[in-house]
Amino acid sequence: MGTIKIKELISDLQDFYLFSIRGFLGTIKQPFYFKDMVEQMDYAGAGSFLIVFLVSLFIGMALSLQLSAELSRLGLKMYTGKIVGISIIREIGPVTAALVFAGRVGSGMASELGSMILGHQVDSLRVFGVDPMKKLVTPRILSSIIMLPALTIIGDAISLFGGYYIAVFVSHQSSTVYWSSIRDVLTFENVFAGAAKPFIFGYLIACISCYMGLSTKGGAKGLRRSTTSAVVISIVMIIVSDFILTRVLLYALGFSV
Amino acid sequence: MIVFDKVWFSYNTQQVLKDVSFSINENERVAILGGSGEGKTTILKLILGIVRPDSGEIVIDGENITSKTEEDLREVRMKFSIVFQEGALFDSLNVKENVAFCLREYSKLSEDEIDRKVREILRIVDVEHAMELMTDELSGGMHRRVAIARSLAASEPRMFLYDEATTGLDPINADNICRLILDLCKNGKGLVIVTHKVLDAIKVANRFMFLKEGMIIFDGDRDKLLHSTVSEIQMFISELNI
Repeated sequence: MGTIKIKELISDLQDFYLFSIRGFLGTIKQPFYFKDMVEQMDYAGAGSFLIVFLVSLFIGMALSLQLSAELSRLGLKMYTGKIVGISIIREIGPVTAALVFAGRVGSGMASELGSMILGHQVDSLRVFGVDPMKKLVTPRILSSIIMLPALTIIGDAISLFGGYYIAVFVSHQSSTVYWSSIRDVLTFENVFAGAAKPFIFGYLIACISCYMGLSTKGGAKGLRRSTTSAVVISIVMIIVSDFILTRVLLYALGFSV
Repeated sequence: MIVFDKVWFSYNTQQVLKDVSFSINENERVAILGGSGEGKTTILKLILGIVRPDSGEIVIDGENITSKTEEDLREVRMKFSIVFQEGALFDSLNVKENVAFCLREYSKLSEDEIDRKVREILRIVDVEHAMELMTDELSGGMHRRVAIARSLAASEPRMFLYDEATTGLDPINADNICRLILDLCKNGKGLVIVTHKVLDAIKVANRFMFLKEGMIIFDGDRDKLLHSTVSEIQMFISELNI
């Protein structure tokens, strides 16, 4: 029994690996389904804006509140902006946006493709000579790679404003000091370390969600299973890859640990 | 046109078809009967190369399709027109867009020409008035008609394949769909319909096969079917006496 499960897992990993490569190749090989991609970008980007706005705002405020409380005890309140800036830009912003994206967009992708499988719509595409990878998966990968970084930048800005509100109006710090600290941390290294991650996260979320969706079998129960798996695996992979990317980027950008 | 030679097929560990062999000519009207989960839909999927057999050969027009690539299968699939169970319409598109889907993908027709052709096809299946409706606004019967229209727009088929074309429809709508299926075969084209509704099968087909536990336990004409002594078939045809 155990051996069969391990074999299934290895086989699934192999399928996923090939699926991810085919998905990537789809972005550089014709035909391109531009209209589908724009539709997906609207769903993934514009549709996620409000939730990213709210989550980022409150995370920025909570972080600033925690730091202000702790730093004021040490007489170092003026560093609030700097620490909020570094945390948000390099780590919390990209991960938060990716987690929100996985929850909202990843689950949507998996359930949509899953119901298309169960309703024989994917079979119809194949019968009509349309490659489901090109028509369904590639536009979702591209839209995720484009929209998640955009959402991350917006989310970072909103978090910084949330942090500003707490630092200035609750913790009574100087507005000038807060923004000049933020300006100081907006170096190439910091921005690059944060901006590179969402591209990878977007690709991972789209590949995992599409793969799980297209692997759906077994009716409504199967659809529930594939949607849940898409979100859970995406979240785990975001956290794991974040650690790996952080390690690689810190090394590549010359930070000493 | 279609030849199955000792075909075995399984989904993971579940054996679906066991040593299935038959041949169907281009102008035959064949109904494959059987209960749910007996492998009826799988036979249609095998004909189109959507799934591949574990062993055995499937020959379409003299060509073995079991090892063909997805690109090569397109040519094979163009010989058929399939209507999947419950229509399988693209639910993000409206009726017109569903029917125009293949025309937009493959033809070089202008939007005006596509519009004209879509209207013409929808007129044939009598749902021209529903052109702008979304698929979730359609009744069951209209859903099947649009699915038939879409499959007609996709190719100039030599044979029609129907997966449970009348399942879930009331008797009047089911009868209308059967008439439409027969109308489309008027010029001698053949069909394969898989269904568990014997009444509808008898209306459209002149040859019947019966699947039981992945094997074909009956293959014959209407009279032979009605006088069969096989208990499962008798249970199915008891529907006709109601």
